[in-house]
Amino acid sequence: MKQTLFSATLDNGITLLGEELPGVESVAIAFHAPAGAVHDGQGRSGLATLSGEMCLRGAGGRTGRQIVEALEAAGVQWSQAVSSSHASFSGAMVARQLPEALPVYADIVRRPRLPEDQLEAARQMVLQNLAGIEDDPGHRVMTALREMHFPAPWGTPSEGLTADVERLDGAAVRDFIAAHVRPAGTIIAVAGRIDWDDFVHRIEALFGDWRAGDAEAVTTGPRGPRLRHVPHDSQQTHVALAWSAPPYRSDESYEATAALAILGGGSSSRLFTEVRERRGLCYSVSSGYQTHRDFAMALGYAGTTAARAQETLDVMLAEIDRLPGTITADEVERVKARAKSGLVMQQESSAARAGAIARQWYHLGHVRTLAEELARYDRLTVDSIEAWLAAGPPRDLTVVSLGREPLEVPRALSA
Amino acid sequence: MPFLHERLDNGLDVVAETSPAALSTSVGFFVKTGSRDETDALWGTSHFLEHMVFKGTPDLPGDEINRRLDRMGASANAFTSEEDTVYYAIVLPEQQPEAVELLARMMRPALRDEDFATEKLVILEEIRMYDDQPPFGADERCRAAFFGGHPLARSVLGTVESIQALPVEAMRDYHRRRYAPGNMVLAATGAVDFPALVAAARRLCGDWEPQPAAERLEPVPAAAASRDLVVRPTAALEYAVRMSAGPDERSADRFAAKLLATVLGDSSGSRLYWAFVDSGVAEQASLHHHEFLDAGLFVTQLSCDADDTDSLLDRILEIYGDAAAGGITAAEFAQARNKVASRVVLSGERPRRRLFEVGGEWAHAQVYRSVADALRIVESLTRDDLHRVAATWPLTGPAATVLAGPRPA
Repeated sequence: MKQTLFSATLDNGITLLGEELPGVESVAIAFHAPAGAVHDGQGRSGLATLSGEMCLRGAGGRTGRQIVEALEAAGVQWSQAVSSSHASFSGAMVARQLPEALPVYADIVRRPRLPEDQLEAARQMVLQNLAGIEDDPGHRVMTALREMHFPAPWGTPSEGLTADVERLDGAAVRDFIAAHVRPAGTIIAVAGRIDWDDFVHRIEALFGDWRAGDAEAVTTGPRGPRLRHVPHDSQQTHVALAWSAPPYRSDESYEATAALAILGGGSSSRLFTEVRERRGLCYSVSSGYQTHRDFAMALGYAGTTAARAQETLDVMLAEIDRLPGTITADEVERVKARAKSGLVMQQESSAARAGAIARQWYHLGHVRTLAEELARYDRLTVDSIEAWLAAGPPRDLTVVSLGREPLEVPRALSA
Repeated sequence: MPFLHERLDNGLDVVAETSPAALSTSVGFFVKTGSRDETDALWGTSHFLEHMVFKGTPDLPGDEINRRLDRMGASANAFTSEEDTVYYAIVLPEQQPEAVELLARMMRPALRDEDFATEKLVILEEIRMYDDQPPFGADERCRAAFFGGHPLARSVLGTVESIQALPVEAMRDYHRRRYAPGNMVLAATGAVDFPALVAAARRLCGDWEPQPAAERLEPVPAAAASRDLVVRPTAALEYAVRMSAGPDERSADRFAAKLLATVLGDSSGSRLYWAFVDSGVAEQASLHHHEFLDAGLFVTQLSCDADDTDSLLDRILEIYGDAAAGGITAAEFAQARNKVASRVVLSGERPRRRLFEVGGEWAHAQVYRSVADALRIVESLTRDDLHRVAATWPLTGPAATVLAGPRPA
């Protein structure tokens, strides 16, 4: 399949990435500034999230309301999100609207007004979101797992803690944006029906004269506890567990994600078969993979009625334990087929491709072609996956449960 | 994108919207059955049956179905609503024959006793999972209150009691009646080989026995105002759901109703958004229009601090009253229309999204609407249409309201 990828770097360090997708009318764009929650600082959790929200509340010559009206009148499906690593401003639209949308995004990224009279509303919005999360057991258990497994600040929830958010002020937001929304480390990715030369020209005009000082390094702290129970008034107990896995930029991440897909990635996976199909223990059970640039985790999750939660955890642990030495050729073929068809089908979505090329650049410093990725999946074998499992079998697990009663975790796995 | 249709002798409709340059093929069976086609004794059967379809046929075990779907790299799943049960697979074009064959065979499941007993446990877990999540059942309670004795009052999942009491024989009988060829549509979008699709349907589905069609429509009782409370002492927020009458699927006003809901209560840039979400007064405040075959709903959802719910609901009604009094501005109308038009175009370029549009519209109304047709409808709407809908279906009129949260009964 023919693939048309572009990249360019501006003098100030902004990376521009593009992919032309044949046969689509749409274009998706994403601005990723290196202003993620890892820069929040002690006692200031939620600062990146509050700052990202404040960027939308007035920028350049527009009020917050005018920003939204300008984007939506151009039919832009916009979104804003803050992760550990980035503050992201994205949009998908019919391609002819891109020239109208770009100056609005340039204002948001470069010229936020940060009006004091909007700070309280923005804070309340962040607090409302936190209250909503408190009522969502699945969200809470995964937040707790990341917090325990990854070293601070990489596991700290980007949405913040209520007590911290209540104390943040306008000066903290202004300082945060001045320090972290900066050209070096910013990625602008575009995919769909694009005219690359025209795009680069427009971005240069809007961002070429942007300058900023040096970036602050992030100090990585200690990890959280290995075992935890979060009391929650629910009929179901949710259990999530994690162990360390190679980050995405490591070549072995393909073996790791393949092993995890065999464990719990599809309806023919081991966890789905043993926990749900054979025993009917739960509705949701899966395994997955989450990565930062320097470390990643393999994870498992299930939610089930309190009385059957212990058995669910026991079966999950037994399946994880059984994984090394038992991978079959048929399982590897299924994983490869799913990964490859997923990659090909991603080419139908402008937003998915804009996200994928930006993610690859952040993790790898380059974009992998589809052909490279397909070839890498072709090199997956039973032996290569087994070799990875033998070198780093699942051990030293982080386990969190959420519900009315705590669960027993066997010593051998948690020690 | 040509549209193609063929009806088999036994009544099974085969439809496709083909785009030869697409990278994927989406294929699905749309069964015209859901919770509204159940009785109290069968409550939850449609959804439970949807799970059982993945548990195998007499000559194909459930494990093998799962393995085959994964081996063809399919993104496959199913869902059940009040009116439809849909099974689908999204595959690379060369997998079309295998995907169609597997889905077609699955439509004649074994419904074995032991699988039924095990899967019953999974369904009970699914019911509890949703019951633990916001809005803590307020949406289903509200629909039950709004529809009263009408079949649309029943929730899709059923209750713990109805599922526990359901015998497998009842499900087998339900399947025989409802999964009849005349009650199903085989739909495909993307890079579809239509002659091969029809040939496969003849070979795999041609011997399915027709059944007499059952009447699905039933007069909807007039809405009466009601208010109910679900108590969740430890909830952080209160979740309010309010339902009032709107145009149904047979009404040409349903398109204007959706645009009206976008102006008033879209998740961004709408009146409710600016009044309550942007200001941080509420976690969520939205309005949607939802249509059934013979009934339509305007659904307001609000989540906020329990102390604020009553006053915010009052303010929402004031906003609705203003809109009905001709208060929609040209600018907000244009913004909403452009937004909806852009959604139509963007979702239209993904075959997987088109499958649900094409299959769903054919199953309900035997109509086909292209992306261009859908766009023309949106672009033909005027501000007067919205004001007329707001006057005909007053959002401030009789409504069922259910609140779920920490406030004591």
